[in-house]
Amino acid sequence: MNCPIESRNPEMLVAYPAGELDLETASAVERHLAQCPACRSLAADQATVWKALDAWEAPRIALDFDQRLFRRIREEVRFSWWERISRPFRPLPFRQALPLTVSACLLLMAGLVLQHPGKIGLVKPRHETVRLDQVERTLDDLELLRQVGMANQPENVNSHAM
Amino acid sequence: MRPLALSFGLAIAFAAAGQTAPPARAADESAATQQQPTGNPIDRWNRMSPEERERQLAKLPPERARLIRERLRQYNQLPPEEKETLRENYQRFTQLPPEKQEIVRQRMREFRELPQARRLVIRHEMEALRALPESERHARMNSEAFRTQFSPPEQQIIRDVTENVAPKR
Repeated sequence: MNCPIESRNPEMLVAYPAGELDLETASAVERHLAQCPACRSLAADQATVWKALDAWEAPRIALDFDQRLFRRIREEVRFSWWERISRPFRPLPFRQALPLTVSACLLLMAGLVLQHPGKIGLVKPRHETVRLDQVERTLDDLELLRQVGMANQPENVNSHAM
Repeated sequence: MRPLALSFGLAIAFAAAGQTAPPARAADESAATQQQPTGNPIDRWNRMSPEERERQLAKLPPERARLIRERLRQYNQLPPEEKETLRENYQRFTQLPPEKQEIVRQRMREFRELPQARRLVIRHEMEALRALPESERHARMNSEAFRTQFSPPEQQIIRDVTENVAPKR
């Protein structure tokens, strides 16, 4: 028989330790293994895997496992958009969530300040400011208007100046 | 790790949204923030804090600062109705084109230079004209009586002041 490794047919070496080969093929493999160390090693490893799988016992599952699984799937579908967004943050302890939130807010503020430099945070409260020359000019005009009677004041052309 | 990535992702997305704000919206916001000051300069002066007013006055020579303080005090002490009428007329005056404002200013200065008796007569006339509807006002200013009662410079004073500053009726 040709070497299963060299002929790229290793499935035969996997099936041999599992006892899945017919008697004739199993005898041929056995004879080959006696003279091929590489195939012997592979067959031995495969035999170890089968033994380990035979020894493994699957953990028992609860009787209501399926019910709980499907209920959870239904709840996932029912979550609102906000719950779905905020859910990843929920398990975080406050100690971890706070710095993350602060850093996110700072980044957001930085972006907005860069875009609107005069408006966010850097805006000074609006104060009334008038130049004194404007005030004087207005006083002059008001006085002229008053003298020509545009204030409906009692007739007194000698009314004192403003 | 997932929340960390989410936080920064959101922050960057919001910042990017801010960076790409449409220009029209930005212009609207800009216009909204650049509010026009309301009221005449005296009203705005009165709204300034006392400290700011004193800071500005302190920049002037003491005598000029004293004079301004006195004139402001007199304006602020005007009876409310008189002040309101004056404010309305001033508002109308400031809405004139600058060259027209200068003409009216010149006429009012000319009025100030007239003898007291003529000032009284002219003021009477302007008050009477202000009380008339516009059409009657024009008729009166074009009447023979008007032309004989007032000299051409006086007529010009009455005409320019009344037509430009007096309220339309």
